[in-house]
Amino acid sequence: MRRAFGVAAALAALLAAGAAVGQGAGVKKRRPLPQEYGRVVLDNHSTASRMAPVAFDHWLHRARFTCRLCHVDVGFAMKAGATDVRAADNQRGFYCGACHDRKTVFDGKKLFGACGPGTAGESCARCHSVGKQVTPEVDFTAFTRGLPRGRFGNGVDWEQAEEQGLIRPADHLEGVSIARKPMTAQKDFALSPKLVEMPEIVFSHKKHTVWNGCELCHPDIFVGVKRGSTRYSMAEIFEGKYCGVCHATVAFPTTDCQRCHTRPVQ
Amino acid sequence: MPHPPRAVRRALAALLLALAAPAARPAPPPAAAAAPAWRTEFDEVCARTQDAMALSVEELRSLVARCDALLPALEKLAESERKVFTRRLQACRSLYQFVLDSRGQK
Repeated sequence: MRRAFGVAAALAALLAAGAAVGQGAGVKKRRPLPQEYGRVVLDNHSTASRMAPVAFDHWLHRARFTCRLCHVDVGFAMKAGATDVRAADNQRGFYCGACHDRKTVFDGKKLFGACGPGTAGESCARCHSVGKQVTPEVDFTAFTRGLPRGRFGNGVDWEQAEEQGLIRPADHLEGVSIARKPMTAQKDFALSPKLVEMPEIVFSHKKHTVWNGCELCHPDIFVGVKRGSTRYSMAEIFEGKYCGVCHATVAFPTTDCQRCHTRPVQ
Repeated sequence: MPHPPRAVRRALAALLLALAAPAARPAPPPAAAAAPAWRTEFDEVCARTQDAMALSVEELRSLVARCDALLPALEKLAESERKVFTRRLQACRSLYQFVLDSRGQK
């Protein structure tokens, strides 16, 4: 009798554990479509203000501006919703309003105003578009047609596009950015993977600093001050930590193994 | 009353245009006209992130101290400016401290 009770208890525990896994990590996520990759939904105050949440697609902005311009100079946090942008901030010329002020001219056109007076009605839906059928002004397929192909993410090799001069991301916004000296890039270095026979990772500081500068990664994402002192695993990267802060969300995704694991084991 | 000769009228018109010209000249952009003291200090302090690795320990310590001294002024700003500039200041201060710490570990 006591043995039967023990078996029943063990089975119950297994079932409970299985259910927990099923609700959590065991559920496969749908891979986003190329135009959806890098989409961020912001809803700090929208729903509470009876507005649709904001859907921000990174692809258009990343083709035109460096990561640093928006995430350091303009002040957007690296985590969706952490900036706590309010309509009033945009109206005062901060965050989205730093460019979207109805005055700034880009590609020969004045940019629309973010949340300002006069934007009421249909133009609010340009950003507050979650759950709405909104036709974007710039079509993803047409915009990316001439760019080098990538296997995953947006289906675009943004790094090649930048190297070939097909995109020229701006790194300075007048009145917002600080005039800086040219960057002294640090050397590239190799990182040894934990898995035996996995090709080594060659990390290029040069490629990263073109887009990010220094302060976007150090020390918030990579805390260790000595090379190799920040120990991390692929599991943590998949969870969106370390390299995964960008490479699980906006930059080429971690499914593109050979982009990082480039050097054969000697 | 007879009209003045054409040459005199032209000279008078030119004189009037010259006098009016300074008023018609566009005003300098607001940032250049009067950047507040905190903004000037912020721009100077955070302009060195590009070459932070090339700075000496003394320079890095000085920049960290200037960041700390600037923070109270930024905390008094209106909400939007305060949010943006305290975050930006924190980012550059952290980088200088990071480089400073890395020197200590070498």
